[in-house]
Amino acid sequence: MRSVTLRIGVIGTGFAGSTHARASIGLPGARLTAIAAATIVEAEPLATELGARVAPDAAALCASEDVDLVIVASPTYLHAEHVIAAAKAGKHVFCEKPIARTLEDARAMVRACDEAGVRLAIGHVVRFFPEYRRAKELLDAGALGRAAVATLTRGTLPVGAARAWYLDPAKSGGVVLDLMLHDLDVLRWWFGEPARVYGKRLAGGGALDYALATLRYEDRPIVQLEASWAEHAGFRTTFEVRGDRGMLAHDSRAVAPFVVQSPAGDAGAGVIPAPTLRETPYRRQLRDLTERLARGEPPLVDGREGSRSLGLGLAVIESAERGEVVRWTVPA
Amino acid sequence: MSRLRVGLVSWAHVHAPGLARTLAALPQVEFVGSFDETGAAHDGRTHPSLEALLKESEAVVLASTNAAHRRYTLDAAAAGVHVLCEKPLATTVADARAMLDACRDARVQLGVALPVRSSPAMVALKDAIESGRLGVVRAVRATNPGQYPGRWFGDRREAGGGAAMDHTVHVADALRWLLADEVVRVHAELGSFLYGLPVEDCGLLTLDLSRGAFASIDCSWSRPQTYPTWGGVTMHVVGERGTVDVDVFRQSLTHYDDAAGVTKLVGWGDDLNTLMVGSFVDAIIAGRPVPISGEDGLRSLEVVVAAYRSAELRRPVAIAEVA
Repeated sequence: MRSVTLRIGVIGTGFAGSTHARASIGLPGARLTAIAAATIVEAEPLATELGARVAPDAAALCASEDVDLVIVASPTYLHAEHVIAAAKAGKHVFCEKPIARTLEDARAMVRACDEAGVRLAIGHVVRFFPEYRRAKELLDAGALGRAAVATLTRGTLPVGAARAWYLDPAKSGGVVLDLMLHDLDVLRWWFGEPARVYGKRLAGGGALDYALATLRYEDRPIVQLEASWAEHAGFRTTFEVRGDRGMLAHDSRAVAPFVVQSPAGDAGAGVIPAPTLRETPYRRQLRDLTERLARGEPPLVDGREGSRSLGLGLAVIESAERGEVVRWTVPA
Repeated sequence: MSRLRVGLVSWAHVHAPGLARTLAALPQVEFVGSFDETGAAHDGRTHPSLEALLKESEAVVLASTNAAHRRYTLDAAAAGVHVLCEKPLATTVADARAMLDACRDARVQLGVALPVRSSPAMVALKDAIESGRLGVVRAVRATNPGQYPGRWFGDRREAGGGAAMDHTVHVADALRWLLADEVVRVHAELGSFLYGLPVEDCGLLTLDLSRGAFASIDCSWSRPQTYPTWGGVTMHVVGERGTVDVDVFRQSLTHYDDAAGVTKLVGWGDDLNTLMVGSFVDAIIAGRPVPISGEDGLRSLEVVVAAYRSAELRRPVAIAEVA
């Protein structure tokens, strides 16, 4: 911990793990040292690409001398095991969202980090997306007056077989904890805690998952959320906030400043395309954390904050399963 | 070609001028003029009384306040005149049932002015669903936001409610038609947030249909004064084999008007009023059932009534509780 350079180890080489690992390359005051995955074979290509060593497994990575910050980007249901191992080894932790699959796991993670005296940051990266930050600035400045009704949507391609654990709602939480959780976190960040939620989602989970939720704040606003794994044309986010003095609207399909077309077809329609920005939100998120750690400050989204957003996601799932309105109270 | 003699009853509704223009333009209609309870004169012949207008009409289009639909429909039925009623059909289920009964007993047809079904984009969606290309439709997120129409639309007695009463039925009816299914349960969050009205100006509804699909409707009067058009109707439809986006009024030019100091959308798509009124008139002339019946109007009104009950009770409400 005394090292001038923050040495980073990454657990997981899926979308999140590889994104965070790549974001760490060239980050001032930080250096990627080790990568672990479920198997050595899975970790090797990314480690080779980024010039890091392969740790035999997550436990070994957490115990490594040359790691000060562990980035946990394993499947959701393994977050608790990996975060607690890292905390016990005295490492700061950055954990991909959702913090965990259950609030019990989340509580154990927060406790372990508190007891070890290490920081726990949760990767609610949308708070680093400039369109959502600019909206927050405008909302906070009163540009819209009081927010009355808002809609936020987030959709991507059906989940492929490569991410099989995603298809098991018991392990991943499905589309609600994968996609809607981002917008639930945005709502808490923009407007604070809602009073009640009503959720609907396709029964049975699986590759085609889709959910709607209506949230009510004690007075206002009322909010419609949509999360979709059925956006066959590729990743898309939208939001619209209407206040009594105006409205803000965003559609990611309408703001691409750089579009390529060629006889080879559209190469850009990935699961989540890279934003055309000098610094990606993932890099900005990691830089913010490393700067805060260097200053001895808590992370922007800590374990408790991540737990609250998880709790709201679980309330949506509970409402959808029971078919009833669920009152939202912030978990202790 | 035989033309149907059609009159317009009342100019209270914001749609009245458009309906009058439509009636005057349709080749299969002889527009016999209108009756306005305020006594104001309008284009076309203005009749001094409802009776005078009904005497010359084979069918009438009602463009009154919502609460007046029942009275005018009963008068028209008693005179043996078919009725095309502005939406919503009525402000209460009891009123709607009385209208259905009166028209059935008088052997006249009762139709409801719901132009969304006439949209070529909606017809394309209906075709895509029926062809099986989308697989089973599981979920729909629909929006029908607009600007606050003013006048009596914020008056609970005349309108029966606010934005939910004004805008829910367009999408509720289209969903029933598209999915060939019925709404069985409704959840709603409503609020009066924007205009200081005694009725709601914002609303989010969630519907369960009998075969398991669910849908949401944003019925808010949420379009700002500076918005380039009145509002719109959209649907995001999730089927097991495909996802569809429909934007009924997307076909438009963007007009940057320096003289007026505004930017506005100028629609160039098919005129839905012409299609909707035309299909009603064609059915009456041919002696066929009208495409959107009083029964359809009652079904979509029940959704609205259940929404108000849900917002009050803060729980989902079954249609059976309000029917």
